[in-house]
Amino acid sequence: MLNKVLEVKNLTKQFGDFTAVDRVSFSLNEGEILGLLGPNGAGKTTTIYMLLDVMEPTSGQISYFGKTFKKARSEILKRVNFSSAYISLPWLFTVDQVLSIYADLYEIPNKKKRIDKLLSEFEINHLREKEVNSLSAGERARLLLTKAFLNYPEIILLDEPTASLDPEIAVKIREFLKKEQKEYKVSMLFTSHNMGEVEEMCDRVIILNHGKIIAEDTPENLANQITVSQMEILIKDYKKAEEVFEDQKIKYKRDGSMFYISVESKKISNFLTMLTNNKINFQDISINKPDLEDFFLKVSKGGLRPGGRL
Amino acid sequence: MSLQRIYAMNKRYFYTLIRSYDRLSDMFYWPVMDILVWGITGLYFASLSQNPKETTTVLLTGLIFWVITWRSQYEITVNLLTELWDRNLVNIFSSPLKLSEWITSVIIYGGTKMSISLVFSAATAFILYKYAFFQFGAWLVPIFINLGITGWVIGFIVASIIIRYGLKAQTLAWTGAYIIVPFSAIYYPLSILPDWAQKISLLIPSSYVFEAMRQHIFLNTISADKIFVSFALNIFYLILSILLFTFAFKKSKQKGLGRLIG
Repeated sequence: MLNKVLEVKNLTKQFGDFTAVDRVSFSLNEGEILGLLGPNGAGKTTTIYMLLDVMEPTSGQISYFGKTFKKARSEILKRVNFSSAYISLPWLFTVDQVLSIYADLYEIPNKKKRIDKLLSEFEINHLREKEVNSLSAGERARLLLTKAFLNYPEIILLDEPTASLDPEIAVKIREFLKKEQKEYKVSMLFTSHNMGEVEEMCDRVIILNHGKIIAEDTPENLANQITVSQMEILIKDYKKAEEVFEDQKIKYKRDGSMFYISVESKKISNFLTMLTNNKINFQDISINKPDLEDFFLKVSKGGLRPGGRL
Repeated sequence: MSLQRIYAMNKRYFYTLIRSYDRLSDMFYWPVMDILVWGITGLYFASLSQNPKETTTVLLTGLIFWVITWRSQYEITVNLLTELWDRNLVNIFSSPLKLSEWITSVIIYGGTKMSISLVFSAATAFILYKYAFFQFGAWLVPIFINLGITGWVIGFIVASIIIRYGLKAQTLAWTGAYIIVPFSAIYYPLSILPDWAQKISLLIPSSYVFEAMRQHIFLNTISADKIFVSFALNIFYLILSILLFTFAFKKSKQKGLGRLIG
């Protein structure tokens, strides 16, 4: 049986007449990485703020490890941490000073050893004496992650943790997060606008829109809800190809000799057979199978309503 | 309450002090300037007065005692503002830190810093004007406590407004304490205020301390009643102001602390 470390039931946040988060319910299992996705204004940040107890919900319940903030706030928050690309740290302090303060706030034993280890993991050991305001965006993001892992968190909330990181460092961060998940069963709630990253990292994904959960499944299953693949075909004899496509009532877009065609995934082989039968030779072809990004874009444009299907 | 978390917040504000020229100048530069200007003004008034020594002493003592109230208020509000300026509010209040621990931290830190400012001001006044700050003897302790608590009361009232309305209310950190200045009768006797203002003064704890101060300077005696009334009012107001801040913090959390850091 899966051990639920976080349970959210009917979480609602209203600002006057506006409902930012509307009866959201979900759970996070031990060692699970759960993606929280949605377009801007969907209610992700509001949800995260309520999960951090820096915003009071209008109604609903949040319980970590079976306990609520009302009864065990400090106890819970000693086991939870977060990092957000939108939060800063005292900008006049050195990296060492910032981490020393947070290590004391979280009452970390052997804080020096822990700080040394994390600074090495995130490759910012050489920045210890630097002031926060002199760090690059990427260095600051790694400092925020160092702070977030100081207290050996059992649950970590990551709001776009790799935004502003260069690809090489982003890969290392993802590897680190995966290792923490595997070795220490750290549970993570993960938001990102990089769908490839979400597919790689998350065991499960929740998509919010207009404050409601509109989809919840594994990234693969969500992507599979999109049944159409995008094809790019280079055909030198484009006039003949156009005649055939119009004759067959196939919708397409053309840029020079390059055709862009949407084809149902299960009918791709029929389409290719049709090209051969009509003696249309193509010089290059690429088939883009639907992925989470396609699903997300469809959802963002309002293609899916709560409880509905595409 | 966790002593380690209180220590962490004290360390956080101490680092801000040593890394910020603004804070260092707040602590040393302005008190020196005030004492310099008011001391010279006092000397000038003294030359026109029948009681030259007492006139200078009233001005300098009023000034130094006011530093206690002002610094106490300022430390509470400016340390809250620091979290807003640094966009660090969400970090500290999503940690295990309790609001009561933050309140205790700013009281301890503010009290320590204010003590340093006070000693520095008194020393400056002694060097420049041979002003004997310790003439009040053991009375300095209750005076010090009363004026400090008055500062905390105003500090928590102002902090309540800042936590509710954010940076648009930040000017109160510098100006908030001055609302009680006319009614505290720092440099003049209470009796010269109009009747309606005297009635308000009766509700201001610092007015009793400054009256007692002048009593000591002119008559070399202090009415313990005045100090006691001041203390009783202070404790009552301190409880109310902390309750107000706790209430304002909860109200602010309803809108989300994240909004205060943009």
